[in-house]
Amino acid sequence: MSDSDTDEENVIRYGTPLEPYEEDEVPAKRKFQEPADQYAVDAHGRRRFHGAFTGGFSAGYGNTVGTPEGWAPATFKSSRSDKATISSQRPEDFMDDEDRDEFGIAPRQLETHREFSGQKRQRRQFFDGPIPGEPVLEQLVRAVHDTAAVRMLRAMGWREGQGTGERLAKAEKKRAKEQHKVYGCYVPPEMRNENPTQEDKDSSDSEIVYDTLFAPDDYEPYILQRKNDRFGLGYSGLSRHSVLGNLVGEYGDAGTSKSHLTMKEKGKKVSIRGQAFGVGAFEADDDDIYATEDMSHYDFTLGGPAKDKPKKVNAKTNNVLNGFVKSSVPLPSVPSYPPPALPRDYTPAPAGSRRSRFEPIKEAPRDQGLGRHELTAETRGALLGETPVPKTTIVPETIPVQSDPIAKIVGRNVNFVSNTEKKTELDFIPIKDSGKEIQKVFKPFVGDPLKQARYERYLKNKDAILESDSNIDRLCEWERDRELAEFEQAAKLYKPLTGIMEERFTHAAEPDDAVNPLCAVAKSTNNYGLATPEQIEAARIGAFGTMTRKETSWRPESLVCKRFNVPEPGTTRDEPKKDDKPKVSYSIFSYLESSVHDKESFTKEQTKFSGSKSLSIDTVTKSKQAITEKKKDSIEETTSQTSVNTGFSKRMTVAELFLKESEKDLKNNEQNVVTETINKFDKMDLYKSIFLSDSENEEEALKETNTKDINDFIEKPKNVERNTSPPRGIFANIDFDELNSWKRNADDKIAETKTVNVTTPTNKTTDNEKCKEHTPETNEDGNVYGPKIPDNLKKRLEDNNTIVNDFKPIYRNKEERDIDSSSESDSWVEAKEIKSKKDKKKKSKKHKSKHKKSKHKKKDR
Amino acid sequence: MTELELSNLVTIKCKQQVVRAVRFNIDGSYCLTCGADKKIKLWNPHRQLLLKTYGGHANEVLDAAGSCDSSHIVSCSADKSVILWDVATGQPVRRYRGHASTVTCVKFNEESTMAVSGSVDNTVAFWDVVSRRQEPVQVLKDAKDTITSIQVTNNEILTCSIDCHVRLYDIRVGKMISDYIGKMVTFGSITHDGQCYVLSCADSTIMLFDKDSGELLNTFSGHESRDYLLENAINEKDSLIISGSASGEILYYDLISSKCVKKLIHNLNKPVISISHHPTDSYMLSASEDEIKLWGTRLMEMEQ
Repeated sequence: MSDSDTDEENVIRYGTPLEPYEEDEVPAKRKFQEPADQYAVDAHGRRRFHGAFTGGFSAGYGNTVGTPEGWAPATFKSSRSDKATISSQRPEDFMDDEDRDEFGIAPRQLETHREFSGQKRQRRQFFDGPIPGEPVLEQLVRAVHDTAAVRMLRAMGWREGQGTGERLAKAEKKRAKEQHKVYGCYVPPEMRNENPTQEDKDSSDSEIVYDTLFAPDDYEPYILQRKNDRFGLGYSGLSRHSVLGNLVGEYGDAGTSKSHLTMKEKGKKVSIRGQAFGVGAFEADDDDIYATEDMSHYDFTLGGPAKDKPKKVNAKTNNVLNGFVKSSVPLPSVPSYPPPALPRDYTPAPAGSRRSRFEPIKEAPRDQGLGRHELTAETRGALLGETPVPKTTIVPETIPVQSDPIAKIVGRNVNFVSNTEKKTELDFIPIKDSGKEIQKVFKPFVGDPLKQARYERYLKNKDAILESDSNIDRLCEWERDRELAEFEQAAKLYKPLTGIMEERFTHAAEPDDAVNPLCAVAKSTNNYGLATPEQIEAARIGAFGTMTRKETSWRPESLVCKRFNVPEPGTTRDEPKKDDKPKVSYSIFSYLESSVHDKESFTKEQTKFSGSKSLSIDTVTKSKQAITEKKKDSIEETTSQTSVNTGFSKRMTVAELFLKESEKDLKNNEQNVVTETINKFDKMDLYKSIFLSDSENEEEALKETNTKDINDFIEKPKNVERNTSPPRGIFANIDFDELNSWKRNADDKIAETKTVNVTTPTNKTTDNEKCKEHTPETNEDGNVYGPKIPDNLKKRLEDNNTIVNDFKPIYRNKEERDIDSSSESDSWVEAKEIKSKKDKKKKSKKHKSKHKKSKHKKKDR
Repeated sequence: MTELELSNLVTIKCKQQVVRAVRFNIDGSYCLTCGADKKIKLWNPHRQLLLKTYGGHANEVLDAAGSCDSSHIVSCSADKSVILWDVATGQPVRRYRGHASTVTCVKFNEESTMAVSGSVDNTVAFWDVVSRRQEPVQVLKDAKDTITSIQVTNNEILTCSIDCHVRLYDIRVGKMISDYIGKMVTFGSITHDGQCYVLSCADSTIMLFDKDSGELLNTFSGHESRDYLLENAINEKDSLIISGSASGEILYYDLISSKCVKKLIHNLNKPVISISHHPTDSYMLSASEDEIKLWGTRLMEMEQ
């Protein structure tokens, strides 16, 4: 048993064993088959054959008809209309798909395209024409039909009769010829029986040394000769057609290249290989004529006699093993990999020494790869040939602007950055500076120093330029207005980078000592962030609340809202982001364009466009009128805002009042008065925009009907820069002045509110009051277009109607107005506001007390 | 006034070098300590049990918060990253690297679907915890200096900044209210009734502001802030305001009278920077150096 076990272990089986037969079972010759298995079915599982009677092949759908529905008689369909589309019928149209199968009657199979098959060469045809051979015409006119391989070879530079590759000298070419490719074992050159005479001949030929290069030889295909005799392999009998021929054998081998008449034993004997009868006429020795046929005469080896070759080899190669050949080509040298170059300041750490972890770590060298990192700013500058900037604090000399040659040549709008900048500021940022004011003043008006000075003053205090301009008489009002707008634009445009960046950063309160980060830092006390001086003041006295509070719209991301389970706030109204975008694009070109206009061109334009009536007015008053028009504009707008439906006539009357006013002023001191009125009107606009109520407007409207006829005389404000050709097409019936006046004046008013904010008196309490007063006003700005003024406000306005009436400039002379603008308006506002404030305080107190109560309650619990 | 008979119930040595923040979890049964050793530890402070240590930050952990279902922790660190942790496995689930500088504070929203973090880079970032999004959903760049603390209610986010402003973002209205405080605000918390916020200022005062009007309601002083970013807390009944102090004391102020009603001594002259009040009970946790202490009444402890 154990033996058998070990036997089984030792046997390695392949495949699956057959089922062992039961001893008494006789193996059936044929396996039993289910009847279903006996039917031949096609690919679709249909019965392929129906037996002889039912006939042949399956056909149609389910062996019945061509459709799953069964047989249906086809309705007649005329093919007359689509004759063109019907092609001739082909036999395939009548075949089943089985017929096209591999075993069908019209099998289809994949074939290599003729172009790629390489089979395109036509069989030689025999032509029976009068001229034997291939017809010449056919040779000439041959379809260019190369195989892909030939085309590729052509592309590589192959020509018929020429090889591909580099051009060679003749010697090289010959050498290349010698080492042709051999498949399998290669007979070493020493062993090859070469024909020295031939070589010599060649060399003698090549004595005429050509410098010319030749194309390499074409590849000669090794074509197997078809064997058409019945001799043994390698045996070639005497060929019939070359008995005496010293032919080069078909096999290209040295042995066979010899003639059939071989010399044996150095010319003693010439034996003829092969079977022949008789002796040739050229044979001198006729001893062996009647030699009997002997098997020894037969050549049993493939190729020629190679008996003496090994001897040669042995003689030649002494220290080479038999069967081996000394290589002629030296072994390729082993590539050597040099060790990597060490970094410049590498200091080898001895393997034994271990660094303690408390040892100071050498600071890692910065990027060593490029030498330029090691250069300091000074060395770089020296390399570039720059003169170093003197670091000593020089008193900043003010270079006169006119001395700048570029500014002289190019004009005023070129030099954007002032060159009078203090150089000492470049080294560090002053710490004490709160960062509020813009350091570098951009100088867009450098060509006009006076204007630049005005611009700078404007930047410092936005409305100071209105009041205290020393050389005010040098500019007409309209020009100043224009310039203001220009300044406004410029201030927006030429906000330096620091100005933009400071919105994101605050100044460091302490100097940043980069060398020693652990040095003691003095406690910073004043960090105002973005707080305005008013806010700081309010916080100082503890008046927290509306003063210190600032509300801005903020749009949470929709995903944030989703995650916080809060409906998105911005879904109903439009995005505030869009509102932030300025409606006017402040491009540099628009700015340049506007500044190009000067006084002359402007007046010219005005006289051209303003119509016939204004021409009658004196040119001195014209400029004045421009201002009044502008004012009128703003007033127009305010009134139209408060009461949209009162309409055109009323607005014009308000303008009329201003005209009167201005005319009155003409009699007085001209320029100063105008500025005053402007200021006053500014304020008035503001107040009116806040407090003008519907009732008052009605009052006004009554009066204004009286002065309606004068209105026709007065010009409507015009945009002089506009194309004045009459509107055409769909714009023909639209009054653009009407439309534009709304938008423009809205902007004006915002600017005005700003200026008022800044110029409020420094008195703290009034300041507070004012701000309180202004904040609701600005809030209402947004609601002006809304349905109505809140009830409480209306009531207040009604209460103070008399005071409001006092503001109307028509009824009063100048002295009255002065008093009014200085004291009355303020006091009036204050009184009201105090009242409201009190209310508020009460409310808040109530709230607070309530709050406290609740707290107490809680506590008592 | 039983609640003021507080005593030190438990003292735990965290062995975290310095505990930067200590936070109760949502129901007050566990607490998290953020250490300068770059690790967060989860404790049961009542039983002095260390439950888990979460390691993965590359620098000091400055704040942490537990999710509403206590399945996740979000933490922020001086390595500029915010990490969301799985509580059970202790593995970081997500690591958010949106901030440009040290992240000082982090909070979950009410449903723990979003984490809000504030950083020294002056920004507040909203991180969507639910999705796999790696970028912040929204970044608030209004502050001009370091964000010191964040509070998140169901629809509001209160951010306190060194730039002396407190900003309240109302998601429901889509409005940002910024209040100028005039002092650097080191910590802000919102009362449980949501009406006031309590701001710890750098000049050793705590200010109570009305949320709606922005008016100052009360000022509390008596503690000492020195240069520390002290935290404050409000007790569960909104009646007391608690503050740590650089002197090692913990001061209880009455919200109405602004008087100091209780002084607890954690460890004299070792600043108590982080404190956390139990959401429903009068337990309070304070951290000083690597020691946290649980304060409460003995009676309560007996009940438990």
